[in-house]
Amino acid sequence: MRDTRRSRIILAILVLTSITLIVFDLRGGDGGITRPLRVVGETVLGSAERAMAVVVIPLRDGVESLSSLGETQQRLTELEAENARLRAELDTVDIDRARVADVDALIGLVDANDYVTVPAQVIGVGPAQGFAWTVTIDSGSRDGVEKDMSVIRGAGLVGRTIEVGPTTSTVLLIVDATSSVGGRLSGTSQIGIIAGTGRQDSLQMQLLDPLAVVDIGDVVVSFGSEGGRPYAPGIPIGVVAEMRGTQGQLTRSALLTPYVDISRLDIVGVVLRAPESPPREVLTPNSGGG
Amino acid sequence: MMTLRRGLLCSVVLILAVLVEVTILAPLPFPGATPTLVLVVVVALSAQFGASTGAVCGFTGGLLVDIAPPAAGTIGVTALLLTVVGYVVGRFAESDDRPWPSFVVLAAVAAGFTTLGGAVIGGLLGDPRVRWDEVLGLMLSSSLYAAILALVLLLPIAWLSRRIVPEAYTR
Repeated sequence: MRDTRRSRIILAILVLTSITLIVFDLRGGDGGITRPLRVVGETVLGSAERAMAVVVIPLRDGVESLSSLGETQQRLTELEAENARLRAELDTVDIDRARVADVDALIGLVDANDYVTVPAQVIGVGPAQGFAWTVTIDSGSRDGVEKDMSVIRGAGLVGRTIEVGPTTSTVLLIVDATSSVGGRLSGTSQIGIIAGTGRQDSLQMQLLDPLAVVDIGDVVVSFGSEGGRPYAPGIPIGVVAEMRGTQGQLTRSALLTPYVDISRLDIVGVVLRAPESPPREVLTPNSGGG
Repeated sequence: MMTLRRGLLCSVVLILAVLVEVTILAPLPFPGATPTLVLVVVVALSAQFGASTGAVCGFTGGLLVDIAPPAAGTIGVTALLLTVVGYVVGRFAESDDRPWPSFVVLAAVAAGFTTLGGAVIGGLLGDPRVRWDEVLGLMLSSSLYAAILALVLLLPIAWLSRRIVPEAYTR
Protein backbone atom coordinates (compact mmCIF):
# COMPACT_ATOMS: atom_id res chain seq x y z
CA MET A 1 0.00 0.00 0.00
CA ARG A 2 1.39 3.35 -0.97
CA ASP A 3 1.47 6.45 1.14
CA THR A 4 -2.08 7.80 0.83
CA ARG A 5 -1.44 10.73 3.19
CA ARG A 6 1.19 12.18 0.89
CA SER A 7 -1.05 11.95 -2.16
CA ARG A 8 -3.91 13.58 -0.29
CA ILE A 9 -1.70 16.52 0.65
CA ILE A 10 -0.59 16.85 -2.97
CA LEU A 11 -4.23 16.78 -4.09
CA ALA A 12 -5.16 19.50 -1.60
CA ILE A 13 -2.26 21.74 -2.66
CA LEU A 14 -3.04 21.37 -6.37
CA VAL A 15 -6.77 21.95 -5.93
CA LEU A 16 -6.06 25.10 -3.91
CA THR A 17 -3.55 26.27 -6.51
CA SER A 18 -6.12 25.77 -9.28
CA ILE A 19 -8.78 27.69 -7.39
CA THR A 20 -6.29 30.50 -6.67
CA LEU A 21 -5.46 30.65 -10.39
CA ILE A 22 -9.15 30.83 -11.28
CA VAL A 23 -9.76 33.68 -8.82
CA PHE A 24 -6.73 35.67 -9.94
CA ASP A 25 -7.48 35.11 -13.62
CA LEU A 26 -11.06 36.33 -13.18
CA ARG A 27 -10.11 39.37 -11.14
CA GLY A 28 -6.89 40.31 -12.88
CA GLY A 29 -8.07 41.14 -16.36
CA ASP A 30 -5.28 42.18 -18.67
CA GLY A 31 -2.73 43.21 -16.07
CA GLY A 32 -3.33 40.37 -13.62
CA ILE A 33 -1.01 37.88 -12.01
CA THR A 34 -1.96 35.16 -14.50
CA ARG A 35 -0.91 37.36 -17.42
CA PRO A 36 2.61 35.84 -17.64
CA LEU A 37 1.02 32.39 -17.96
CA ARG A 38 -0.91 33.50 -21.04
CA VAL A 39 2.22 35.09 -22.49
CA VAL A 40 4.15 31.85 -21.95
CA GLY A 41 1.28 29.92 -23.53
CA GLU A 42 1.13 32.16 -26.58
CA THR A 43 4.92 32.28 -26.97
CA VAL A 44 6.06 28.74 -26.20
CA LEU A 45 3.02 26.59 -26.95
CA GLY A 46 2.04 28.85 -29.85
CA SER A 47 5.43 28.36 -31.48
CA ALA A 48 5.17 24.62 -30.88
CA GLU A 49 1.74 24.58 -32.52
CA ARG A 50 3.19 26.48 -35.46
CA ALA A 51 5.98 23.94 -35.87
CA MET A 52 3.44 21.14 -35.58
CA ALA A 53 1.19 22.73 -38.21
CA VAL A 54 3.81 22.25 -40.91
CA VAL A 55 3.33 18.48 -40.63
CA VAL A 56 -0.26 18.47 -39.55
CA ILE A 57 -2.08 20.66 -42.05
CA PRO A 58 -1.52 18.49 -45.15
CA LEU A 59 -2.58 15.51 -43.02
CA ARG A 60 -5.70 17.27 -41.77
CA ASP A 61 -6.67 18.35 -45.26
CA GLY A 62 -6.32 14.75 -46.41
CA VAL A 63 -8.65 13.44 -43.72
CA GLU A 64 -11.12 16.22 -44.37
CA SER A 65 -11.29 15.63 -48.10
CA LEU A 66 -11.72 11.89 -47.50
CA SER A 67 -14.60 12.40 -45.12
CA SER A 68 -16.38 14.74 -47.51
CA LEU A 69 -16.06 12.85 -50.81
CA GLY A 70 -19.80 12.65 -51.43
CA GLU A 71 -20.25 16.25 -50.43
CA THR A 72 -17.56 17.33 -52.87
CA GLN A 73 -19.42 15.88 -55.84
CA GLN A 74 -22.63 17.60 -54.83
CA ARG A 75 -20.78 20.84 -54.23
CA LEU A 76 -19.23 20.61 -57.68
CA THR A 77 -22.66 20.42 -59.29
CA GLU A 78 -23.85 23.36 -57.22
CA LEU A 79 -20.82 25.40 -58.14
CA GLU A 80 -21.26 24.64 -61.85
CA ALA A 81 -24.82 25.90 -61.68
CA GLU A 82 -23.74 28.97 -59.77
CA ASN A 83 -20.97 29.56 -62.27
CA ALA A 84 -23.40 29.56 -65.17
CA ARG A 85 -25.68 31.97 -63.37
CA LEU A 86 -22.80 34.29 -62.48
CA ARG A 87 -21.55 34.23 -66.07
CA ALA A 88 -24.95 35.47 -67.20
CA GLU A 89 -24.88 38.18 -64.57
CA LEU A 90 -21.41 39.22 -65.61
CA ASP A 91 -22.70 40.52 -68.90
CA THR A 92 -24.62 43.25 -67.17
CA VAL A 93 -21.90 44.09 -64.73
CA ASP A 94 -20.33 46.97 -66.62
CA ILE A 95 -23.50 48.96 -66.58
CA ASP A 96 -23.84 48.40 -62.88
CA ARG A 97 -20.27 49.06 -61.97
CA ALA A 98 -20.36 52.81 -62.26
CA ARG A 99 -23.51 52.94 -60.20
CA VAL A 100 -22.10 50.57 -57.59
CA ALA A 101 -19.02 52.70 -57.10
CA ASP A 102 -21.17 55.68 -56.24
CA VAL A 103 -23.35 53.71 -53.88
CA ASP A 104 -20.33 52.09 -52.22
CA ALA A 105 -18.85 55.45 -51.43
CA LEU A 106 -22.13 56.45 -49.90
CA ILE A 107 -22.88 53.43 -47.77
CA GLY A 108 -19.35 52.63 -46.77
CA LEU A 109 -18.68 49.26 -48.33
CA VAL A 110 -14.96 49.04 -48.85
CA ASP A 111 -13.09 47.12 -51.48
CA ALA A 112 -11.21 44.38 -49.65
CA ASN A 113 -8.10 45.35 -51.60
CA ASP A 114 -7.96 48.72 -49.88
CA TYR A 115 -6.96 47.16 -46.59
CA VAL A 116 -3.37 46.50 -45.71
CA THR A 117 -3.52 42.91 -44.48
CA VAL A 118 -1.09 40.22 -43.51
CA PRO A 119 -2.14 36.69 -44.53
CA ALA A 120 -2.25 33.93 -41.94
CA GLN A 121 -3.10 30.26 -41.75
CA VAL A 122 -5.40 28.88 -39.06
CA ILE A 123 -3.31 26.33 -37.16
CA GLY A 124 -5.26 25.61 -34.01
CA VAL A 125 -8.84 25.54 -32.78
CA GLY A 126 -10.33 25.52 -29.28
CA PRO A 127 -12.20 22.41 -28.08
CA ALA A 128 -15.97 22.39 -28.63
CA GLN A 129 -16.73 21.62 -24.98
CA GLY A 130 -15.07 24.89 -23.95
CA PHE A 131 -17.88 26.73 -25.77
CA ALA A 132 -15.38 29.38 -26.91
CA TRP A 133 -14.99 30.17 -30.60
CA THR A 134 -11.33 31.00 -30.90
CA VAL A 135 -8.59 29.98 -33.31
CA THR A 136 -4.81 30.28 -33.45
CA ILE A 137 -3.24 31.80 -36.56
CA ASP A 138 0.40 31.66 -37.61
CA SER A 139 1.09 35.40 -37.70
CA GLY A 140 2.26 37.33 -34.70
CA SER A 141 3.99 40.50 -33.57
CA ARG A 142 6.92 39.76 -35.90
CA ASP A 143 4.53 40.17 -38.82
CA GLY A 144 3.17 43.42 -37.45
CA VAL A 145 0.07 41.93 -35.82
CA GLU A 146 -1.09 43.62 -32.63
CA LYS A 147 -3.88 43.04 -30.16
CA ASP A 148 -7.35 44.15 -31.30
CA MET A 149 -6.95 44.01 -35.05
CA SER A 150 -9.70 42.87 -37.41
CA VAL A 151 -9.34 39.47 -39.02
CA ILE A 152 -11.04 38.93 -42.36
CA ARG A 153 -11.44 36.14 -44.83
CA GLY A 154 -12.02 37.07 -48.42
CA ALA A 155 -14.31 40.03 -48.01
CA GLY A 156 -16.00 39.12 -44.73
CA LEU A 157 -15.25 39.74 -41.07
CA VAL A 158 -13.99 36.73 -39.11
CA GLY A 159 -13.06 38.23 -35.73
CA ARG A 160 -10.35 40.14 -33.92
CA THR A 161 -7.01 39.31 -32.35
CA ILE A 162 -7.15 39.03 -28.56
CA GLU A 163 -3.71 37.64 -27.77
CA VAL A 164 -0.52 38.10 -29.78
CA GLY A 165 2.72 36.14 -29.49
CA PRO A 166 5.87 36.55 -31.56
CA THR A 167 4.81 34.12 -34.28
CA THR A 168 1.18 33.29 -33.47
CA SER A 169 -1.99 35.09 -32.44
CA THR A 170 -5.32 34.09 -30.96
CA VAL A 171 -8.43 35.26 -32.77
CA LEU A 172 -11.82 35.67 -31.12
CA LEU A 173 -14.38 34.78 -33.79
CA ILE A 174 -17.49 36.93 -34.22
CA VAL A 175 -19.74 33.95 -33.44
CA ASP A 176 -18.28 33.64 -29.92
CA ALA A 177 -20.81 34.53 -27.23
CA THR A 178 -18.51 37.21 -25.80
CA SER A 179 -17.94 38.94 -29.14
CA SER A 180 -19.81 42.09 -30.06
CA VAL A 181 -19.30 44.25 -33.11
CA GLY A 182 -20.89 47.54 -34.06
CA GLY A 183 -22.51 47.21 -37.44
CA ARG A 184 -24.92 48.82 -39.81
CA LEU A 185 -27.23 47.72 -42.55
CA SER A 186 -25.62 48.66 -45.83
CA GLY A 187 -28.92 49.68 -47.39
CA THR A 188 -30.50 51.90 -44.78
CA SER A 189 -27.50 52.66 -42.56
CA GLN A 190 -29.45 51.50 -39.51
CA ILE A 191 -26.97 50.73 -36.76
CA GLY A 192 -26.90 47.98 -34.16
CA ILE A 193 -24.76 45.70 -32.04
CA ILE A 194 -23.93 42.29 -33.48
CA ALA A 195 -23.31 39.67 -30.81
CA GLY A 196 -22.20 36.09 -31.24
CA THR A 197 -24.66 33.37 -30.28
CA GLY A 198 -22.14 30.61 -29.70
CA ARG A 199 -23.40 28.86 -32.83
CA GLN A 200 -21.29 28.96 -35.94
CA ASP A 201 -24.20 29.69 -38.26
CA SER A 202 -25.92 32.61 -36.60
CA LEU A 203 -25.32 36.07 -35.17
CA GLN A 204 -27.75 38.32 -33.37
CA MET A 205 -28.07 41.98 -34.22
CA GLN A 206 -29.69 44.26 -31.67
CA LEU A 207 -31.14 47.20 -33.57
CA LEU A 208 -30.86 50.57 -31.94
CA ASP A 209 -33.84 51.99 -33.80
CA PRO A 210 -36.94 49.91 -33.08
CA LEU A 211 -38.70 51.42 -36.09
CA ALA A 212 -35.98 50.44 -38.55
CA VAL A 213 -37.11 48.86 -41.78
CA VAL A 214 -35.10 45.70 -42.30
CA ASP A 215 -35.42 43.29 -45.17
CA ILE A 216 -34.34 39.67 -45.21
CA GLY A 217 -31.16 39.47 -47.26
CA ASP A 218 -29.83 42.90 -46.26
CA VAL A 219 -26.07 42.95 -45.75
CA VAL A 220 -24.64 44.18 -42.45
CA VAL A 221 -21.19 45.78 -42.51
CA SER A 222 -18.94 46.74 -39.61
CA PHE A 223 -19.43 50.26 -38.32
CA GLY A 224 -15.76 50.69 -37.58
CA SER A 225 -14.08 51.88 -34.42
CA GLU A 226 -11.80 54.78 -33.66
CA GLY A 227 -8.62 54.23 -35.69
CA GLY A 228 -10.03 51.07 -37.22
CA ARG A 229 -9.33 49.04 -34.05
CA PRO A 230 -10.52 46.55 -33.07
CA TYR A 231 -12.83 46.61 -36.06
CA ALA A 232 -12.06 48.32 -39.32
CA PRO A 233 -15.06 49.94 -41.00
CA GLY A 234 -17.01 48.62 -43.95
CA ILE A 235 -16.29 44.91 -43.67
CA PRO A 236 -19.33 42.69 -44.35
CA ILE A 237 -20.36 40.76 -41.24
CA GLY A 238 -23.54 38.94 -42.18
CA VAL A 239 -26.79 38.78 -44.05
CA VAL A 240 -30.16 39.26 -42.36
CA ALA A 241 -31.87 35.87 -42.19
CA GLU A 242 -34.74 36.46 -39.79
CA MET A 243 -36.35 39.26 -37.81
CA ARG A 244 -37.28 38.86 -34.16
CA GLY A 245 -39.95 41.10 -32.70
CA THR A 246 -42.28 43.41 -34.55
CA GLN A 247 -41.64 46.90 -35.73
CA GLY A 248 -41.78 49.42 -32.88
CA GLN A 249 -41.14 46.82 -30.19
CA LEU A 250 -38.34 47.88 -27.84
CA THR A 251 -36.23 44.76 -28.12
CA ARG A 252 -36.04 44.24 -31.81
CA SER A 253 -33.30 42.09 -33.18
CA ALA A 254 -32.26 40.43 -36.39
CA LEU A 255 -30.70 37.02 -36.81
CA LEU A 256 -27.83 37.15 -39.25
CA THR A 257 -26.07 34.45 -41.20
CA PRO A 258 -22.32 35.15 -40.99
CA TYR A 259 -20.84 36.35 -44.25
CA VAL A 260 -17.93 33.98 -43.79
CA ASP A 261 -18.32 30.23 -43.26
CA ILE A 262 -16.65 29.90 -39.86
CA SER A 263 -16.35 26.10 -40.11
CA ARG A 264 -14.14 26.34 -43.18
CA LEU A 265 -11.52 28.80 -42.02
CA ASP A 266 -8.15 28.18 -43.56
CA ILE A 267 -6.38 31.28 -44.80
CA VAL A 268 -7.38 34.57 -43.20
CA GLY A 269 -6.02 38.12 -43.28
CA VAL A 270 -5.23 40.41 -40.37
CA VAL A 271 -6.04 44.04 -41.13
CA LEU A 272 -2.96 46.04 -40.22
CA ARG A 273 -4.32 49.29 -41.53
CA ALA A 274 -7.71 50.43 -42.70
CA PRO A 275 -7.91 52.43 -45.94
CA GLU A 276 -6.35 55.88 -45.81
CA SER A 277 -9.53 57.70 -46.79
CA PRO A 278 -12.59 57.22 -44.63
CA PRO A 279 -14.87 54.71 -46.35
CA ARG A 280 -17.89 56.90 -45.87
CA GLU A 281 -17.25 60.23 -47.44
CA VAL A 282 -18.58 63.28 -45.74
CA LEU A 283 -21.36 64.73 -47.79
CA THR A 284 -21.26 68.49 -48.12
CA PRO A 285 -23.41 70.68 -50.33
CA ASN A 286 -20.62 71.16 -52.85
CA SER A 287 -19.44 67.56 -52.95
CA GLY A 288 -22.37 66.68 -55.19
CA GLY A 289 -22.01 65.50 -58.73
CA GLY A 290 -19.72 62.59 -57.79
CA MET B 1 16.81 9.41 -11.31
CA MET B 2 13.47 7.65 -11.34
CA THR B 3 11.57 10.85 -10.50
CA LEU B 4 13.41 12.70 -13.24
CA ARG B 5 12.65 10.10 -15.89
CA ARG B 6 9.04 9.83 -14.77
CA GLY B 7 8.69 13.60 -14.88
CA LEU B 8 10.20 13.77 -18.34
CA LEU B 9 7.97 11.00 -19.65
CA CYS B 10 4.83 12.65 -18.26
CA SER B 11 5.80 16.13 -19.50
CA VAL B 12 6.63 14.99 -23.02
CA VAL B 13 3.46 12.91 -23.38
CA LEU B 14 1.26 15.68 -21.97
CA ILE B 15 2.74 18.45 -24.14
CA LEU B 16 2.38 16.26 -27.24
CA ALA B 17 -1.22 15.51 -26.28
CA VAL B 18 -2.05 19.22 -25.91
CA LEU B 19 -0.49 20.05 -29.29
CA VAL B 20 -2.23 17.18 -31.09
CA GLU B 21 -5.56 18.12 -29.51
CA VAL B 22 -5.36 21.77 -30.59
CA THR B 23 -3.85 21.35 -34.05
CA ILE B 24 -5.34 18.04 -35.21
CA LEU B 25 -8.37 16.91 -33.23
CA ALA B 26 -10.17 20.22 -32.60
CA PRO B 27 -10.06 21.42 -36.24
CA LEU B 28 -11.50 18.13 -37.53
CA PRO B 29 -15.30 18.20 -37.78
CA PHE B 30 -16.12 15.59 -35.13
CA PRO B 31 -19.82 15.63 -34.25
CA GLY B 32 -20.30 17.02 -30.73
CA ALA B 33 -17.31 17.39 -28.46
CA THR B 34 -13.64 17.50 -29.36
CA PRO B 35 -11.88 14.24 -28.38
CA THR B 36 -10.09 15.02 -25.12
CA LEU B 37 -6.71 13.46 -25.72
CA VAL B 38 -5.13 15.22 -22.74
CA LEU B 39 -7.68 13.72 -20.36
CA VAL B 40 -7.07 10.21 -21.70
CA VAL B 41 -3.31 10.66 -21.31
CA VAL B 42 -3.82 11.84 -17.71
CA VAL B 43 -5.94 8.73 -17.04
CA ALA B 44 -3.31 6.48 -18.62
CA LEU B 45 -0.42 8.02 -16.65
CA SER B 46 -2.38 7.95 -13.38
CA ALA B 47 -3.19 4.29 -13.99
CA GLN B 48 0.55 3.61 -14.16
CA PHE B 49 1.97 5.83 -11.43
CA GLY B 50 -0.77 6.23 -8.82
CA ALA B 51 -2.56 9.09 -7.13
CA SER B 52 0.31 11.53 -6.38
CA THR B 53 1.77 11.50 -9.88
CA GLY B 54 -1.77 11.33 -11.26
CA ALA B 55 -2.79 14.53 -9.52
CA VAL B 56 0.40 16.32 -10.64
CA CYS B 57 -0.05 15.11 -14.24
CA GLY B 58 -3.69 16.20 -14.17
CA PHE B 59 -2.79 19.64 -12.89
CA THR B 60 0.03 20.08 -15.42
CA GLY B 61 -2.02 18.79 -18.35
CA GLY B 62 -4.99 20.93 -17.36
CA LEU B 63 -2.87 24.05 -16.97
CA LEU B 64 -1.34 23.43 -20.42
CA VAL B 65 -4.85 23.14 -21.89
CA ASP B 66 -5.82 26.37 -20.10
CA ILE B 67 -2.93 28.39 -21.54
CA ALA B 68 -2.28 26.78 -24.94
CA PRO B 69 -3.58 29.12 -27.65
CA PRO B 70 -6.36 29.59 -28.65
CA ALA B 71 -7.59 28.92 -25.08
CA ALA B 72 -9.91 31.73 -24.01
CA GLY B 73 -11.45 30.33 -20.85
CA THR B 74 -10.49 30.99 -17.25
CA ILE B 75 -7.03 29.74 -16.32
CA GLY B 76 -7.25 27.01 -13.68
CA VAL B 77 -10.60 25.42 -14.54
CA THR B 78 -9.24 22.51 -16.58
CA ALA B 79 -6.32 22.22 -14.16
CA LEU B 80 -8.75 21.79 -11.27
CA LEU B 81 -10.89 19.21 -13.07
CA LEU B 82 -7.98 17.12 -14.33
CA THR B 83 -6.24 17.21 -10.93
CA VAL B 84 -9.30 15.50 -9.47
CA VAL B 85 -9.42 13.03 -12.37
CA GLY B 86 -5.72 12.15 -11.98
CA TYR B 87 -6.07 11.68 -8.24
CA VAL B 88 -9.20 9.51 -8.41
CA VAL B 89 -7.89 7.31 -11.23
CA GLY B 90 -4.53 6.98 -9.45
CA ARG B 91 -6.22 5.99 -6.21
CA PHE B 92 -8.34 3.41 -8.09
CA ALA B 93 -5.19 2.01 -9.71
CA GLU B 94 -3.34 1.68 -6.38
CA SER B 95 -5.72 -0.83 -4.84
CA ASP B 96 -5.01 -4.34 -6.14
CA ASP B 97 -4.55 -5.36 -9.73
CA ARG B 98 -7.14 -3.70 -11.90
CA PRO B 99 -7.81 -5.08 -15.37
CA TRP B 100 -6.86 -2.47 -17.96
CA PRO B 101 -10.30 -2.32 -19.64
CA SER B 102 -11.67 -0.85 -16.40
CA PHE B 103 -9.62 2.26 -17.17
CA VAL B 104 -11.41 2.58 -20.51
CA VAL B 105 -14.67 2.92 -18.59
CA LEU B 106 -12.98 5.28 -16.15
CA ALA B 107 -11.74 7.49 -19.02
CA ALA B 108 -15.27 7.70 -20.45
CA VAL B 109 -16.74 8.62 -17.06
CA ALA B 110 -13.97 11.16 -16.48
CA ALA B 111 -14.65 12.78 -19.88
CA GLY B 112 -18.33 13.16 -19.05
CA PHE B 113 -17.41 14.52 -15.63
CA THR B 114 -14.96 17.13 -16.93
CA THR B 115 -17.37 18.30 -19.65
CA LEU B 116 -20.17 18.73 -17.10
CA GLY B 117 -17.76 20.16 -14.52
CA GLY B 118 -16.42 22.71 -17.01
CA ALA B 119 -19.96 23.85 -17.84
CA VAL B 120 -20.98 24.03 -14.15
CA ILE B 121 -17.88 26.01 -13.14
CA GLY B 122 -18.35 28.26 -16.18
CA GLY B 123 -21.97 28.81 -15.18
CA LEU B 124 -21.03 29.59 -11.58
CA LEU B 125 -18.40 32.08 -12.71
CA GLY B 126 -20.91 33.77 -14.99
CA ASP B 127 -19.37 32.75 -18.31
CA PRO B 128 -21.87 33.83 -21.01
CA ARG B 129 -20.60 31.16 -23.38
CA VAL B 130 -22.06 28.08 -21.65
CA ARG B 131 -24.90 26.55 -23.64
CA TRP B 132 -26.84 24.21 -21.39
CA ASP B 133 -28.91 22.71 -24.20
CA GLU B 134 -25.72 21.28 -25.67
CA VAL B 135 -24.10 19.97 -22.49
CA LEU B 136 -25.71 16.50 -22.49
CA GLY B 137 -24.75 15.88 -26.13
CA LEU B 138 -21.21 17.07 -25.46
CA MET B 139 -20.94 14.80 -22.40
CA LEU B 140 -22.05 11.73 -24.35
CA SER B 141 -19.84 12.40 -27.36
CA SER B 142 -16.77 13.25 -25.28
CA SER B 143 -17.27 10.05 -23.24
CA LEU B 144 -17.47 8.00 -26.41
CA TYR B 145 -14.34 9.60 -27.89
CA ALA B 146 -12.46 9.21 -24.61
CA ALA B 147 -13.32 5.49 -24.49
CA ILE B 148 -12.04 5.01 -28.04
CA LEU B 149 -8.85 6.97 -27.38
CA ALA B 150 -8.29 5.03 -24.15
CA LEU B 151 -8.65 1.71 -26.00
CA VAL B 152 -5.92 2.81 -28.37
CA LEU B 153 -3.59 4.56 -25.92
CA LEU B 154 -3.71 2.76 -22.55
CA LEU B 155 -1.48 -0.15 -23.49
CA PRO B 156 1.15 1.84 -25.44
CA ILE B 157 1.49 4.31 -22.55
CA ALA B 158 1.70 1.43 -20.05
CA TRP B 159 4.43 -0.17 -22.18
CA LEU B 160 6.31 3.11 -22.47
CA SER B 161 6.10 3.67 -18.71
CA ARG B 162 7.49 0.20 -17.97
CA ARG B 163 10.34 0.74 -20.41
CA ILE B 164 11.33 4.17 -19.17
CA VAL B 165 10.57 3.91 -15.44
CA PRO B 166 10.88 0.18 -14.54
CA GLU B 167 11.58 0.98 -10.86
CA ALA B 168 8.02 2.22 -10.38
CA TYR B 169 6.73 -1.32 -10.84
CA THR B 170 8.81 -3.14 -8.21
CA ARG B 171 6.64 -2.86 -5.17
